[in-house]
Amino acid sequence: MHWSELAIELTLMPLVAFIVGLFMVLMMRKIAARLQRRVGPPLLQPLYDIVKLFSKQTQTSHGLLHEIGIVMAVGGYVAAETLLPVPGMNGVAEKGGMITLLYLTMIPSLGMALGVGQCANPNGSIGISRALTAMLAYDIPFVIVIAGVAMHFGTTNLVDVVAQQQAGGIGSWGATQMPLLALAGLFALQGMLGKQPFEIYVAPAEIATGPMVEMGGKFLGGLFVMQCFQLYTAAVLYVTLFLGGGENWITFLGKSFAVLVIPMSIAFLFPRYRTEDMITMLWKWPVVLGLIGLVFVGS
Amino acid sequence: MTIVGFEMKQFPVQVEQPQQGGNIFSRVFDELTAFCRSRSLFILHYCTGCGAIELPPAMTSRFDMERLGISPMVSPRQADILLITGYVSVKTLKRVILTYEQMGSPKYVIGICSCTVNGGMYWQSYATAKKLNDYMPVDLYIAGCMPRPEAVITGLRELMEHIRLGQANGWQDYYRRYDHYLGNQQRLFGETWQTPTDVIAESRHYGLFGEHTLGGHTMLLEQHQNPLEPLTMSLGLDDKTKVGS
Repeated sequence: MHWSELAIELTLMPLVAFIVGLFMVLMMRKIAARLQRRVGPPLLQPLYDIVKLFSKQTQTSHGLLHEIGIVMAVGGYVAAETLLPVPGMNGVAEKGGMITLLYLTMIPSLGMALGVGQCANPNGSIGISRALTAMLAYDIPFVIVIAGVAMHFGTTNLVDVVAQQQAGGIGSWGATQMPLLALAGLFALQGMLGKQPFEIYVAPAEIATGPMVEMGGKFLGGLFVMQCFQLYTAAVLYVTLFLGGGENWITFLGKSFAVLVIPMSIAFLFPRYRTEDMITMLWKWPVVLGLIGLVFVGS
Repeated sequence: MTIVGFEMKQFPVQVEQPQQGGNIFSRVFDELTAFCRSRSLFILHYCTGCGAIELPPAMTSRFDMERLGISPMVSPRQADILLITGYVSVKTLKRVILTYEQMGSPKYVIGICSCTVNGGMYWQSYATAKKLNDYMPVDLYIAGCMPRPEAVITGLRELMEHIRLGQANGWQDYYRRYDHYLGNQQRLFGETWQTPTDVIAESRHYGLFGEHTLGGHTMLLEQHQNPLEPLTMSLGLDDKTKVGS
């Protein structure tokens, strides 16, 4: 591939991810509104929020790390987008693979931890300690799922995983071949998105949105952008591993939005677990499901 | 802002309109940001009195403020609107001012209920602040005892219109006439009143320093001011003097 094509792909992939992510955020808020019998926000509401936050005229910074932390949080996901194959664009997905992606999705949490640490707000510190605990909780089933998928397809290369599933049709999709792992993956997805019942680190009524408590203006705007990327990354990763990627943009986006409907519909029907209950739950059921799934994959 | 049947001392209010740039792109950009600001408002509720009871219906399924882009937020740093719903006692007012100064500009204050307009039924109370706009610039009052959700939403729509037209500039007034607001605050809280936010330095930094920013009251503040220091953080749970102090 010529370097200029690669440069265009590396620019386009995060950009597309951001725009799709905006609509995913809109869908999340619409689902919440419909479940509560409300009308919900207008079409461009996520964009209005982000433009408004970046156009605040006074910014309260708590130091250099506060700003670097936000850049890490957004940058980690921007890097992750270039490793996720989308229809027509592979970026550097063939060079990266699942393991690299796994690492990159952890960078945003660590970046937030750095940034929030400098704010010295007790609510923020509690929030970030809970966020890292949550990461520990959902990463165990997530790693099992990744390992199972890699064993099944015999590769950690996401482009190969998609190609194998598309060659064999719906019968060779990860979800039909490994239903237990797909189910465990849904649990991990719920934890990864930080949605109820695993919403322990945002908890607006308890610790005042935890990590975001000292973030205003461009900092909160950065986190809103991060949320778009987060929803996109989680959905596309699940589609790539279990639902055969996308043959074209229509099926790809259809599958990605459909995957997100599941955690979002669950989220707004349930209250929040406590931290220890979340760890108990995530280390018990999805791990057991995932391990049984691994046995089927291995045999 | 006029209140019928109530004699108010008139202060010269000088709010300069931002200069219209000759560049068409900068004008379009300004209008875009003004539009986005008006369509995305995060509210911080300071629920001091009975007016708070009318807000849940305004937010939930019957009236649904989110369809106008208005959603509740929990920390002053994230919020655009400070919503004060009811009487403000002297002790509460200190917290309201601390909260207001922590918010990022442009910020708007809405006073709900007659108690924030003129003291309402607490007019004769020694412990309440009567007029909220003596202590901070109020962009909009929603009068009533209590105003119904329809009135709250009508008021918010009016504020949205003001923001879109670039008229909701009360926050600049706080910087430009800080001496006036500080004077009223000192009248209630005493001469030694100070907040952790250095409003004068901020007004210089953001180019909002006016001729009424400094005055007799800020001189008084400088005499009594303790230098601002970062809070010390310690984890001495055995030391009983630190816990709960």
